[in-house]
Parts: sequence; C-alpha cells; structure tokens
Amino acid sequence: MKKIIYLFVLGLFTACSSEPQPIDYGNDNCNFCEMTIVSQAYSAQAVSQKGKQYKYDAIECMVNDQLQHNYDMAVNLVANFEQPGTMIDVNKAGFVINDSIKSPMGGNLAAFKKESPVINDGSEGTFSWEKLKTHFLQTDSLTTSYQ
Amino acid sequence: MGRLFILFLLLGFATTSIHAQEIEVCKSCEVKTIQAAVDMAENGDVIRIKSGTYKEHDITIIDKSLTIIGEGLPVIDAEMEGTAISIRAENFSIEGLKIINVGRSHTNDFAGILVSNSKNFEVKNNRLDQVFFGILLERSSEGIISGNKVTSNAKDQATSGNGVHIWKSEKITVKNNEVIGLRDGIYLEFVNNSEIIDNLCKDNLRYGLHFMFSDNDLYKGNIFENNGAGVAVMYSKFIDMQDNQFRKNWGSASYGLLLKEINDSELKNNIFEDNTIAISADNTNRINYIENDFKNNGYAIRIRGAVYDNIFERNNFLYNSFDVAYTGRLNDNKFNNNYWSGYSGYDLDKDGIGDVPFRPVTLFSYLVNRTPEAIVLLRSMFIDMLDFSEKVSPIFTPADLIDEQPQMKRIQW
Repeated sequence: MKKIIYLFVLGLFTACSSEPQPIDYGNDNCNFCEMTIVSQAYSAQAVSQKGKQYKYDAIECMVNDQLQHNYDMAVNLVANFEQPGTMIDVNKAGFVINDSIKSPMGGNLAAFKKESPVINDGSEGTFSWEKLKTHFLQTDSLTTSYQ
Repeated sequence: MGRLFILFLLLGFATTSIHAQEIEVCKSCEVKTIQAAVDMAENGDVIRIKSGTYKEHDITIIDKSLTIIGEGLPVIDAEMEGTAISIRAENFSIEGLKIINVGRSHTNDFAGILVSNSKNFEVKNNRLDQVFFGILLERSSEGIISGNKVTSNAKDQATSGNGVHIWKSEKITVKNNEVIGLRDGIYLEFVNNSEIIDNLCKDNLRYGLHFMFSDNDLYKGNIFENNGAGVAVMYSKFIDMQDNQFRKNWGSASYGLLLKEINDSELKNNIFEDNTIAISADNTNRINYIENDFKNNGYAIRIRGAVYDNIFERNNFLYNSFDVAYTGRLNDNKFNNNYWSGYSGYDLDKDGIGDVPFRPVTLFSYLVNRTPEAIVLLRSMFIDMLDFSEKVSPIFTPADLIDEQPQMKRIQW
C-alpha cells in the first residue's frame, strides 16, 4: 500500500514538471497544423509554465502558434539540423531561412547551433530566435497570407 | 502466317533503327553499365536494359531525350548510397526497372527516380523497393507517372520519405500506382492542375495522399487504406475529390480525410468506412459534400473552428457513433436531403421525406469533444436521456443545424 502512495506522489511531481517529453515520431501530431510529426531535422517542441507539452512538426509551426496565441513557454526547443534527433534550446540556436531547406510547412527554415559555421558565415537569412519572431510578424508568412 | 508476322516485326525494328540507335545493356554485352549507355547515347536513342542486377547509383541523365526500357525487370541496386537515377531532360521515358536500396539521409532527399526541371516525360511500370523517396519530381511539368509500385518499410525507420513526391510542378498525372509503407504515399506541394487517379495507398506512416499549397487538382478513384490518415488537404483550393475510398484509418488521431484551410472544393461519391474520424474539417469554406457514404465511422464529420458555407446534400450517414460533431454553437453550413440511419421520425404523407426534421449533432458529441474521456459513457441510458432533452430544447449544440428534409430511404447514387 505504501508503495502505491509513493508512486502516486511521484506521479504528482512528474505531472507538474516542465521537462520536455521526447517527441514520438510517427505518432505525435503537430499542435498547430495537426500533421503527424515525422522529420527529426525540422521538429520543435515547447513546454508551458504549467507543464503542458506542445509539439510541432516544423519550427515555422511553433513560431506561428506562439505568435498567434501569445503563449508564455518555460522551454522552447528546436531540432538541430546538423544532428537530427537532438534538440537545442532556442536561445542557443541560430536559424536559417533558405530555399534549399525543404521544411514541412513551406517555411524553408532550419535551426543550427549558434557556434555552427553555417550561422557564422555572414550570409543573409540567418536569424536569432527573437529576430526570427519579428521576421515572421513582418513577412507574408503562412499566418498572414491565409487570414 | 507466323513468318509473315515475324517479317513485319523485323520490318518494324528496321524502320525504327534508322531514326534512333538502340543500346543494349547486359552483363555480357559490350555496354555493361547503365551510366555508360547513357553517356554514349544521343537524343532519341533507346536503351534496353536486360535482366540482371546492376549495382549503380547516381546515374545521371542530362538534356538527353532517351527511352529507357527494362526487359525482364532488371534490378538497379543503389546499395544504400544516394539516388539511383536523376534526370533533367525533355521528352523521355523510363519503364520496367526495379530499383532497390536507395540511400537514407536527414538532409538530402535521395530518391529511386529523381526528375528535376523536366518536361513531357513518362515514368511507368517500375518497381521500387526499400527506397527513401520513391519517385521525386521537382520543377517539372506535363509528366505521367503510371503503373509503378513503390514499397518500403517506413514504419520501422526513423527516417522515411514519400512514395511519389511532387514539388513545384504542374500538369502531372499520377495514375494506377501502388504505394505501400512509406511516409506519405503521394505528396504534392505547390502542384497545380494535376490529376491523381486510381492509385492505391496503403500502410503509409503519415498520409495516403497529402496536398500542401496546391490548387486546381483532381483526385479520383483512389483507395486509401490503413494509413496514419487517409488524405490530408491543407492550404489548398479548388480541389475536386471524387469516387475515392477511405478505409480503416483507426487510431486516436486518425482521419479518413483531414481538411485544413481549404476552400471552394467538392467531395462527391466518396466512401468513408471504418475510420475513427471520417472527415475532420478546420477552416474550410465553400465546400460541397454531395452523395458520399459514411459507414461505421466513429465520427462521420467533425467540424472544428471557422467552417462556413459548406453544403451537405444527399449523403448517407450509416451507423456512425457520431454523425456530426461541432465544437461551437455557431452554424453556417447547410444539411439537406441526407439519409441518417439514426433518424427515428415518420413519413405520414409518403413522399419519401421525413416529416420531422433531424438534428445530427447530439449533446453527447459536444461533451466528448470537450472531455474525450466521457466516451466511456457511450450507449448508457443516461446519455440517451441527455441527448433527447437537448433535441427538444438545444442549448449547447447549434440550434439551427437541422436537416429539414431527412430521407426515409438510403440514397442510391
């Protein structure tokens, strides 16, 4: 009986944590566009202050979702394009928008580590997380063109 | 008679050989690899590949109009490295090849057959097995992809590609293909004025058929079975959907047809059978649902936010747990002349139309929408009472969502 109580208490604690759950590729659906998440190179995820999990098939979905709903997230993670399957914090990431990147929702957007040479070669179309959000607000993105 | 026939045949070969050279590829031939044959070929030549296994990858054809014919299903084994065949040309055809073991990558879209910046071509009757992407088209037009069979094992692969993947193209016909076990069976992104006809998409990880940002397309006579979801049509307009079958898409987030941000389209004569959710509609405007069958689904139609000006006419709703589910109270869609198996009204004047209007949205479907766990109460008498009282005086469900003319008999279309 005691064990059950321990388990229960443990359950309570885990329920409140803002630890991101790993994305179950092929089964989890995107919170924004509802597509099944399959690509490890473009996915993104967030956890709200209260511990609710948000998962996205593309970084552009996460940005659009947060801009539309003004979510306040405790954790924001994006897939590392150079090491698919691993996630990086948005504040440690640099973002590239380039036509050669075929991200799932047509944003041509991928994330790299800030130290990556791709981010630091001085070419156009690289953004920090904050700059990326303002870029999405300004440009004719999915959100603005379809509403 | 037989001799005459052979003579004719020989004559036929003789006349073609004047115009075009024919190159044979086999293990004991002069030309042993396909790439060598391609390199020596001129515009208009025919390359005949005899049966056997060719361990080649990244075979590249640029600006040559060739006819490539596999005889006895020759195998091109890409040995898990890169793309098998890439083409950039006009007026070419590829048929009768078997392509296996295409390389996998997170960042490169390796394919069995890659067609890029091409026009007027045909890819037919090929078999592709253990591929990453099957047939990949980009920036191309006026192509026909027919009779191919693409199989892979996306279900147990972390990385998976699409069977037929078309990007930024127009006037493409995809016909009579079978796509089994990939990520999306057929995927279209920025593809206009194209036709998807009589294909079978089965056991794919994500969608059987997937439209993104594609307009003025038709899909007709296809079968979508046991995919993650049957078809997803997203951010598109003017899509014509006819005579398709959506079957056995079971799972907590599985759909027969997922519509998201799609306008001005028509669904006619489709059959939805054994799906968790037959149609999920979100942000869809001006869509006509005419003469479709919804049979044995969990939800026949689940309407989410911002769905306006849709018309549901002459459909058969047969034995679904929920015929129509709504999230809100607003309704701007018309339901008319449908047959509802759950209709319990009467027809005293015998004109084939029920005398009492039918309300397809039940209070319970509203409850389940808000609290999915409430589904355990399905079939309880308490729920029947709730539904009945809501029918008498609608509070939570849209009051004007009524079929004024429910049919007494199943509609034959």
